[in-house]
Amino acid sequence: MTPKIKNEKKKKLIELENIHVDLKSSFETINVLKGINLKIFKNESVGIVGESGAGKSTLIMCIAGLELISKGKIFFKNLPIHNLNEDDLALYRSKNIGVIFQSFNLLPSMTALENVNLPIEISGNFKNNKMAMELLTAVGLKNRIFHYPHQLSGGEQQRVAIARSLISNPEILIADEPTGNLDKKNSEDVIKLLFQLKKHFGSTLILVTHDTFVAKLCDRIIRIDNGLIVK
Amino acid sequence: MLLETLKNLTLSIRELRGSFNEFKIVVASIFLGVFIISAVGSISQNLKSEIKNKRVEMLGGNFELSTTYQEFPKNIKSWLEENGKTTHIIELRTMLSYGSQSSLKRRIVELKAVDNNYPLVGKVLTSPFQNVKLPLGTKKPEKKILIDKSLKDQIGIDVGDFVYLGKSKFKINGIIEKEPDRIFSFATFGPRVLLSTQALNETGLLKAGSLIKYKTKFIPNNKNKINLATLNDLVKGTNVSIRSIENTTNNFNNFVDRTSIFISLVGLITLLISGAGISNGVKGYIIKKTKNIAIMKSLGAKNSKVLNIYLNQILMIFLISIIPAIMLGISIPYLFSPIISQELFNTFEPSIFLQPISISFLYGFIICILFTILPLLKTYKIKPIELIRKSSENSLNETSYKIKGIIFILICILCVLTMNLINDKKLSFYILISITGSFIFIYGLTNLKFYILSKIKFRLGTTFEYVRKAITKSNSFARSIVISFSIGLSLLITLNIIESSLDKRITVAINQQAPSHFLIDIQPQQIEKIKNIALSFLGETNFNSQPMLRGRITELNNQLVQGIKVDKEVEWVLRRDRAFSWSNKIPKNTKLISGEWWPKNYDGPLLVSIGDKIAKGLNLKIGDKIKFNILGRSFEAQIFNTREIIWENMDINFIFILSNSNIENAPHSWIATTKNVGQNLNNSFVEKIVSEFSNISSISIEESYKSIKSILNLLIIIINSIALITLVSGIIVLAGIIDVGKKDKLYEVAILKILGATPKRVAYLWFKEYFIIGLITSVISLIIGFFVSYVLLNYVFNIEIYFDFKMICILTLLVPFLITIFSLLRMMGLIMSKPLVVLRSYF
Ligand SMILES: Nc1ncnc2c1ncn2[C@@H]1O[C@H](COP(=O)(O)OP(=O)(O)OP(=O)(O)O)[C@@H](O)[C@H]1O
Ligand SMILES: [Mg+2]
Repeated sequence: MTPKIKNEKKKKLIELENIHVDLKSSFETINVLKGINLKIFKNESVGIVGESGAGKSTLIMCIAGLELISKGKIFFKNLPIHNLNEDDLALYRSKNIGVIFQSFNLLPSMTALENVNLPIEISGNFKNNKMAMELLTAVGLKNRIFHYPHQLSGGEQQRVAIARSLISNPEILIADEPTGNLDKKNSEDVIKLLFQLKKHFGSTLILVTHDTFVAKLCDRIIRIDNGLIVK
Repeated sequence: MLLETLKNLTLSIRELRGSFNEFKIVVASIFLGVFIISAVGSISQNLKSEIKNKRVEMLGGNFELSTTYQEFPKNIKSWLEENGKTTHIIELRTMLSYGSQSSLKRRIVELKAVDNNYPLVGKVLTSPFQNVKLPLGTKKPEKKILIDKSLKDQIGIDVGDFVYLGKSKFKINGIIEKEPDRIFSFATFGPRVLLSTQALNETGLLKAGSLIKYKTKFIPNNKNKINLATLNDLVKGTNVSIRSIENTTNNFNNFVDRTSIFISLVGLITLLISGAGISNGVKGYIIKKTKNIAIMKSLGAKNSKVLNIYLNQILMIFLISIIPAIMLGISIPYLFSPIISQELFNTFEPSIFLQPISISFLYGFIICILFTILPLLKTYKIKPIELIRKSSENSLNETSYKIKGIIFILICILCVLTMNLINDKKLSFYILISITGSFIFIYGLTNLKFYILSKIKFRLGTTFEYVRKAITKSNSFARSIVISFSIGLSLLITLNIIESSLDKRITVAINQQAPSHFLIDIQPQQIEKIKNIALSFLGETNFNSQPMLRGRITELNNQLVQGIKVDKEVEWVLRRDRAFSWSNKIPKNTKLISGEWWPKNYDGPLLVSIGDKIAKGLNLKIGDKIKFNILGRSFEAQIFNTREIIWENMDINFIFILSNSNIENAPHSWIATTKNVGQNLNNSFVEKIVSEFSNISSISIEESYKSIKSILNLLIIIINSIALITLVSGIIVLAGIIDVGKKDKLYEVAILKILGATPKRVAYLWFKEYFIIGLITSVISLIIGFFVSYVLLNYVFNIEIYFDFKMICILTLLVPFLITIFSLLRMMGLIMSKPLVVLRSYF
């Protein structure tokens, strides 16, 4: 793998080459992505916008290794992702990717602390309570660590999810409309927090949003329409 | 490695938190199966060790020598008395009369007359307790007897009462609490009555030709010098048969083995069916956990990790359920020891054996893993992308060969274990084949149905079209529902058909074919008188009598039977005394399979007619020679024909019927049956005979049938309740499926409502969807149920298929209604929901 060179301004992290995604349903095949070419560089924040159904979620799920692509190539630091098998994709995710969903997706049977610890435990390492506490403190949930998801508000749950996405110190943070289920006040707080932490951890952020105001916070905005990037 | 396991374990426990309730059915299933196997195993191990410890006492000596009809030759008797301790016993059946002199009642009993040496080992215990070796009071004038408790309970006579046996009057001196040389204390033909040989001699019941057993129990002085071979030498050429403690224990062990195989089989089937319950429970559980699994995968969990997490949970559940199951299983002998002591052994001290524990553990473990791993493999199919939308058909479809290998190995171990448990290769092979067959059958049939349903071309109206699409769409759970319910339902249907066929057979037999009573020990000089009485009471065709004598087969085609290998199923024919009859007239209702009957006036060398299946088992055919020893004399007969013997008709069925040549001069007795012409008439006829001829005993067939039937019923109840449990486990799967699909359905309802459907209409659509799924289940189960019961009835029970149409209809409609009502109730909230609220809050 390429050695990590610090302060190189435009180090390429992700490269998508002519990505196609076709989804088969029982009756027809829908071409969701129709040839996406995209480079994402280290430390930048990319906002992805577009009409509903344009293929935004599909695109970032490809980057997260969660979507099976039909054609094209994806590289992560020159490492080809497109021909990894399921297990290697899982490994790739647990090492490099933190995902935040619109619906927070915490495990209901685990406390906030346990939820934050989950990714490292899944990757077979010892849980890191210190780091998890720090993260929960950073997202403002210092006195909520032993609460279960159902004891937390939506905003709080999303903050736990953010803490969870950062626990294994991933290079890339992927967020699919992280504020879609939150009210205005909570949305602003969560977004602020997200950018703050991104900066603090030096990670790359790829963010899908409907909110033009949020998009404008990003270094770069990419618009998707009908499965293609438009300028 | 260990650390890894530990880490996984804590994760599993955390994931399990709060969902413990979901495992109720899994726990119940494992518990039930393992409990039955460990309980049966413990009981049979305990019985066997008990037999081993008490075998001398149970046989009443180291050897038992016995003859029927005749006493031993004097020289044998005196040799035994010189060379060891002996006690001589006479056993016969007779009618005991009781009640007031003017209206005596009668009951068949088993007499056992003993001498002063009895018993050689152990002690006869009576209540009230009498501290004498043998409380029979030989002093005249009062003759005393001891009776079984069952006799006291049945006819209400008690200590101090007077009864009659033959010509003599006896006083009941006590109730037998313990008769040492008796393995079973339950009655065979009648309850036991103990008396002294001297007293028996005076009753006048010892008549030549009556079925009387003479037994001598023997403990040699020098056990090293005198063994079975010595005794065999001694009795050579006589009709004395010998039992030693070895072959007695073997026989009894065989009996215990056979019974425990049968019950273990029920346990195994329970476990397999519980396997279906386990599988269903786990399936439902995994369905409910779909989202959690997707989340973990999105966080980087590999498939194997997910499998590991849930497998760990199942293992914990397994341990939790198996420990109490085994504990209860091994405590069963303790719980039942009073009953076993009373019914089987006189004293029974249970203990704990390792083998049943390990076997039930192993069985439970393998079944649990086997039936868990398949639904757990479904977790491989769950894609993290489902967190943002319903998964499409895109998938990598990875199946692990490692896991397939494990499944294969587990199945092999299971087969080996079963073979080991059943101990009969042929039987276990059939069982394994039929079990696998049924599973494949259910699976294949379900898929076929869905295939047909998805290929229907013609239009059947829009609602049906909607339902058809809903059921056959690729990610529909309909298949799971069908498979989950089919197992239980087909079992219920099979059982129902078998039960009603057996029932029908028995009632028909009792009402028409089977005799109502047996009369035994009729003396040759009495038979003509009895025939005349029968003529006036019952008419000629309703009374059937045949002469009978007993003898042993010594040689087949000039080869000693000891050295001949025969089919296991007919071995019993050679083992002990058998009953013979003779007739130059072809007996009523005889169906010849090969050969023909000898002429009516035949007077040549001895010929024999033999049961066809027995002949085949003994590798005999027409023209072959059989040598018998009857009352010490040898006879050789040539096989002239073979007959079909239908045991179930409960009539007189002689395996061997000889030609008239000379045999009729041997001491013999007659046996007779009466056909049912009306209960009162039959009863008064039998009453007349047994009161007039005190040596004749009667046996009622209806009572025998009743006891068989009650055992059968118990079994059917047990298996039925297991089948019901499977149905309940089906409901669990259904609940899981409905809960997972709720969100989609909610959306569907909202749309349907916005498009103008009333709640009634929505409910109707769903009703149809689930009802059709239920009907598919029923049809599949009906096919399987009829097929399996037909095969069983035809090839195992040998009786005609019969079913109760109403019951089958009820069973058929049970599942569709169960599924429909349950799912509708579960979704009531959805149907009544306000569409706009739903759309706003969910999408
Ligand atoms: N299981 C599926 N089978 C077939 N097509 C699907 C499936 N799931 C989604 N699609 C289609 O894929 C397209 C892209 O979906 P995607 O979720 O990426 O859109 P999006 O841009 O994220 O929209 P939104 O802003 O509404 O979240 C949509 O047109 C959708 O209809
Ligand atoms: Mg989206």
